[in-house]
Amino acid sequence: MAEKKKLTTAEILAMARNQDKGGGEAGAGGSGAVEQSSDAAAASAPPETQKPVAAPKSTADILAAARAQGGGAKPSATKPAAGAAPKSTADILAAARAQGKGSGGDAAPAAKSVEAKPTPAKKAGVPEGDRPPLKDMVAAVKAASEGKPVVAPKVPVAKSKPKLPAKQEKVSRRSVMAMLSAVAITPFAAGWAVMGGLAGLWSLLVARFMMPNMVLELPSQFKVGPPSDFPPGTVSEKFKASRGIWIVHSDQYSGNDMIYALLSICTHLGCTPNWLEGEQKFKCPCHGSGFYITGINFEGPAPRPLERVGLRRAEDGMLEVDKSLKFQEELGQWSDPKSFYPVA
Amino acid sequence: MNPHPDLTVGVIHGLGWLYLLMFFLNVGWTVRSFRRDGHYHSLFGVEHIPKAVVWAAFSALLLLVALSHLAVNSDPESFLLRLPLWFKGSVDAIIANPISYFALSMVVFLAVVCLKDWWVQPTVAWTLFNASTIFLALSMTDYDFRQIVGKPDNVPIVGMLYLVGFFTWLYFYKANDNDRRVAEGRPLHEKELSDQVLVWPDLVYTEMVCMLLVTALLIVWGVALPAPLEEPASAVKTPNPSKAPWYFLGLQEMLVYFDPWMAGVVLPTIILVGLMAIPYIDFNKAGNGYYTFEHRKFAVTTFLFGFLPLWIGMIVLGTFIRGPNWNMFGLYEYWDVHKLEVLNNVNLSEMFWLDVMKQPLPRPGADDDILVQVGVILKREWLGILVTLAYLFVIPPLMAVTVFKKFFVRMGFIRYMVLATLVLFMASLPLKMALRWAMNMKYIVAIPEWFFNI
Repeated sequence: MAEKKKLTTAEILAMARNQDKGGGEAGAGGSGAVEQSSDAAAASAPPETQKPVAAPKSTADILAAARAQGGGAKPSATKPAAGAAPKSTADILAAARAQGKGSGGDAAPAAKSVEAKPTPAKKAGVPEGDRPPLKDMVAAVKAASEGKPVVAPKVPVAKSKPKLPAKQEKVSRRSVMAMLSAVAITPFAAGWAVMGGLAGLWSLLVARFMMPNMVLELPSQFKVGPPSDFPPGTVSEKFKASRGIWIVHSDQYSGNDMIYALLSICTHLGCTPNWLEGEQKFKCPCHGSGFYITGINFEGPAPRPLERVGLRRAEDGMLEVDKSLKFQEELGQWSDPKSFYPVA
Repeated sequence: MNPHPDLTVGVIHGLGWLYLLMFFLNVGWTVRSFRRDGHYHSLFGVEHIPKAVVWAAFSALLLLVALSHLAVNSDPESFLLRLPLWFKGSVDAIIANPISYFALSMVVFLAVVCLKDWWVQPTVAWTLFNASTIFLALSMTDYDFRQIVGKPDNVPIVGMLYLVGFFTWLYFYKANDNDRRVAEGRPLHEKELSDQVLVWPDLVYTEMVCMLLVTALLIVWGVALPAPLEEPASAVKTPNPSKAPWYFLGLQEMLVYFDPWMAGVVLPTIILVGLMAIPYIDFNKAGNGYYTFEHRKFAVTTFLFGFLPLWIGMIVLGTFIRGPNWNMFGLYEYWDVHKLEVLNNVNLSEMFWLDVMKQPLPRPGADDDILVQVGVILKREWLGILVTLAYLFVIPPLMAVTVFKKFFVRMGFIRYMVLATLVLFMASLPLKMALRWAMNMKYIVAIPEWFFNI
């Protein structure tokens, strides 16, 4: 709609200008009377009649008609075309477009219709040569809406002409459009295909990246020394900085003398607590959680005890820590023999 | 030679400049007082003395103090103007105890609201400003106080406290003015004395001046107080104490009393969503576009309660008072890593089963069927679960028929329930804190098996 409006707005001005010139020439040529009367008709009749008509009909028709009428300023060579009314919307618009662009597709019928009229159409409408069909259509619209002939038809031949070219035009435009859109879409399709391919490749590379050739992590199992390195009632901080564990030798949990390894991660929010020798407790600097030497939480917000990791005596008599094993007291896992080394 | 001297020549000179600045400020105030405050009818037998004479005397005293500071060049230890030990001791005792600290912050909050007509008078407010600055200056004569407050990280917090005080004063000053106007039937200040100006040039010009001043301040600040750099971070070594950025210290303080899931996720979300919900649950159309307290008593008081004791108070607590091992230290107390505080705490379920029922705590066996485990856990925690459900579902209807009766009638069921829930969640923080301090309560519902603790 908007497109058509834009097109024809410029059109109207051009036509009006041409018409003025044409009128002057025509006057000199001697056919001034016809010209004058048609001008008057164009100026007075259309605007007044259009408004009442506008209500029932579709806007597109009325606009097209108004433009054709206002710009054309032709002796309206039209006739009651009752047949055109029902399907006129599409046809009229298509025809209007074709005429507005002045496309040469239907030069022959246009030329015929022009010749058929005794008007200065050749001089006036040079770019948009064939206005007569438009006149016809306007008349058809009016006739359809008012149900009576508007102007006495001078040229009955023009009756079916607007329809035929319009239909051909539509078909050819469609196929051109389809071709154009196919051409237009091709780069996008190609782009998406390339991007999809790259994304797939990238995912594969990421998957490969997740499986490095060499892992710099320390092994989860490591030896910490013989049991005699850890005297009773002590907390060894030897492996806190490097491996994040304390080795504790204590008999305070369940009364049995045992060595166990506690993970130095606070169970509240994961800070690293400190072992306070004087107070005999682990104390977290972030929110003040405190744990006994057994790892049991007793102050601050920590909701559960520190976690133990696996500890066993290896075949060579050394204690071996296994950080891949976790034992949580609140789940009853500290009774698991893998979670401590009993000092008999 | 004491490695931690309370006073050095540099400190004394710095305080001298501070007192000198105070002197000039008070000279300005004396002029203002002379013009506005009027006269005493009779003072010491002399008639018709301007009230400004008091401020003049105070300014003179400040000048003398400043000069006596600036004149010191040696032997700082013998300088006399410093805080007495009894004062430090009593302040430490109040501040380092969470109960008295929180009580103090509540007293300040209540005083701010209840004594608003008194303390927002310009003369009173100016006196309070002087008092706070002199308190700060005298406190700087203490080594430990200086270490904490003078840390480049913490200097802005002191500035922020002054800003909070100023803006609170500004609000109450304007609100009092309007409330008086409404009571006397006069038009609002915003209506009668509309000080609308043009955007260009008035507002833009003001903004440009502010921009220049703030830029200059930031440059001076950046040069004078460089950001402290610490040792490289290590995953296995946490600084002690380990503090969040100052604006998160309220959250960090919440984390002391709640499970990380609650204090780190649920409560902050409720705070944010609750603030967003205020326009929808607020039915009071008054107070739109002008300062007022009388028209919005509930809204202002609730906000100030959440802001002053529960947010600013917690930031002060986290910045100046929490020390090594997250223990509380007085303002003038040495941050001793080995300060021993007994903070043993227990869950409600332990209180119930061990102390009341004299039974061992029911514990789910590791090999039990999952349903049996759930049953045992629910049996262990039934009291806490009941208390929590009652708190959230019984108290709102009770409030609806008592204290919030008018609210309930005007708001309707859904809006009222949203309001009640938000208020209850806000109240849960001081309640939990009080329970921790008074009863050593750790968690009301403690299900570490499911990482669910309330």
